[in-house]
Amino acid sequence: MSSPRRRLLWLLYALPVALFLVALLVGRYGGGVGDALRALFSADPNDVLRSLILRVRLPRALAALLVGANLAAAGAVLQGLFRNPLVDARILGVSSGAAFGASLAILLSGSALAVQTGAFVFALLAIAVVLAVGWRLGATPLVLLLVGIAVSALFDALLGLVKYVADPLSKLPAITYWLLGGLGGARWSNLVPLALLSAVGLGFLFLVRWRLNVLTLSDDEATSLGVRVRPLRAAMVVAASILVAASVSQAGMIGWIGLVVPHVARAWVGSDHARLLPASAALGGAVLLVLDTVARTALPSEIPLGILTGLLGVPAFLLLLVGYLRARGATR
Amino acid sequence: MKKGLRVVVVIALMVGLAAAACASDAVTIVDSAGRAVVVPQPVERIASAYGIGTYYVYALGAGDRLVAAWYVGVKTFGQAPASLRAMEPRLDELFSVGDPNVEELAARGVDIVLADAAKHAAFAAQMQGIGVPTLLLAPETTQGVVDTTLALGAALGEEAAGRAAQFVSDFWRVFAASEAATRGVPSGERPRVLFVGSSSLQVASGAMYQTQLIEAAGGVSVSEDLVGGWNTVNLEQILVWNPDVVVIAPYGNVTVADLMTSADWQSVRAVQTGRVVRMPRIFAPMDTPLPESLLGVMWLSSVLYPEHETFDVRTEAAAFYGAYYGYALSQAEADSFLIP
Repeated sequence: MSSPRRRLLWLLYALPVALFLVALLVGRYGGGVGDALRALFSADPNDVLRSLILRVRLPRALAALLVGANLAAAGAVLQGLFRNPLVDARILGVSSGAAFGASLAILLSGSALAVQTGAFVFALLAIAVVLAVGWRLGATPLVLLLVGIAVSALFDALLGLVKYVADPLSKLPAITYWLLGGLGGARWSNLVPLALLSAVGLGFLFLVRWRLNVLTLSDDEATSLGVRVRPLRAAMVVAASILVAASVSQAGMIGWIGLVVPHVARAWVGSDHARLLPASAALGGAVLLVLDTVARTALPSEIPLGILTGLLGVPAFLLLLVGYLRARGATR
Repeated sequence: MKKGLRVVVVIALMVGLAAAACASDAVTIVDSAGRAVVVPQPVERIASAYGIGTYYVYALGAGDRLVAAWYVGVKTFGQAPASLRAMEPRLDELFSVGDPNVEELAARGVDIVLADAAKHAAFAAQMQGIGVPTLLLAPETTQGVVDTTLALGAALGEEAAGRAAQFVSDFWRVFAASEAATRGVPSGERPRVLFVGSSSLQVASGAMYQTQLIEAAGGVSVSEDLVGGWNTVNLEQILVWNPDVVVIAPYGNVTVADLMTSADWQSVRAVQTGRVVRMPRIFAPMDTPLPESLLGVMWLSSVLYPEHETFDVRTEAAAFYGAYYGYALSQAEADSFLIP
């Protein structure tokens, strides 16, 4: 029984690798895949296409892979932790915090480094507030969600204030564009924080993925199995938040990946987190690679990634919902 | 108050208003939104809630009648260029930001309000509702600049109307001279221009005023097929366009040195040939549809065709600011119009 499924599992992990190679060969510049292959193996260091592939497409494809993997893995973890299929990073205030931090940095400075740092710092600040307040109130999933919604609302209001005072000629378009999400800014020079934080966050979650199954039980049951629920839950929330903060600070607001991809992965490999977590990460990376390749090649101007993920994510989500309701109806 | 008495008072008020309107001759202005607005004369107190419109008021010699003003591209008082403070000594008193407040303007006792057609329709209706004539403006094109100038000239009295006519004649003179100088240049040989905004990957669409300025100066915008406002593109697309000239908007953080030294841009023709320039700025950004955009055309013309010497931009700029703003350009300001 497990042999066809295992073969499919290999496909799942081969997918992002294959798409990664395709992404390097596709772009607006140059005469297509053949030219790109020739340029890649050309010895001429002044070849424009070659330097584009190595210096622009490669870091960007890596960023797409990491951001997609991070968002999907974080979504899978948070959905499990909160025993709620509707949860993604947005609900814990991380995204709103990052949006405010980035906008503030655009308003005050505008340098790419400041924007990336601002987004990251305020994303972590938001989750720190959620955890600090939530811990005092018992750190149950419901409390964390409610505090998360409140903190989100606070940062949304602050974001509104920044947009209101921003210069409509220069600052406001930059803020609006950042909020729509995109990987146009991904370069070797700014990829290091994302890569390191992804390695740490994904590594930690990968190591504790077995325990996540226990946390999806009720707190009492988990405690009776010898798990210290509150510290473990907090550590996982922090890890997921770091993944999201690193991603959002690199790519802006990209919705739906964290919500929808874990559901697709669950339909593929089942809800055992030992398998669901890596599967979500692989699938998230693959999906974002495809979307980012479309975003940078389909039109002369960049298509904001957040728009593409919404256009694809919403129908996918509704399809899943229909499938779920049908299945439930059939068993009733 | 008894009902009968109220009716009598209302009728008396209406007769009085009508009489007042007849006595001092009112003019009817059709604004950019196509509304016919009756503006009683003379107009002595002006509020410009439209940051672009404010600069028309100055150019028409009516700056001393402003009682409240918004300034395009200046979001805080501290951001105001020194030149603007020098030209308008009352800047701290006039300077306003954010959404205009009906009651605040009513309290200042204004005779006319200039508003933004793109976002002030409801505000204009409210101002009209309390009896203050309000013009919705949206120049957006070169023809729009001319129409707006003439409409405001008509609204602001005889002297302003005379200056408006003078400005329009200057405006078309510059366009005609630029057109004449580049008439013989076939479209395939015109400089291909990329206009970037507040970041180096943010480029002007074909619908924007910047594209019209490029065309007026005899160039071709490489991004003219894009729609909407500022578009964000990627480096690959800029290499596909490979523009001859890159023009940087006079706001935002991008500098000529940024692009000239950026490793990413080294394959772009404009960088290889050193034809990367940033627009000068005295009061308002010259790539917006306001009177100073006249200088934008002349400056662009000298950027694109330095060998033609169609305009002596330095001298023209000094004359322009003297005539329309009563402002003497400093040596450094005049030099900012020179092409390095």
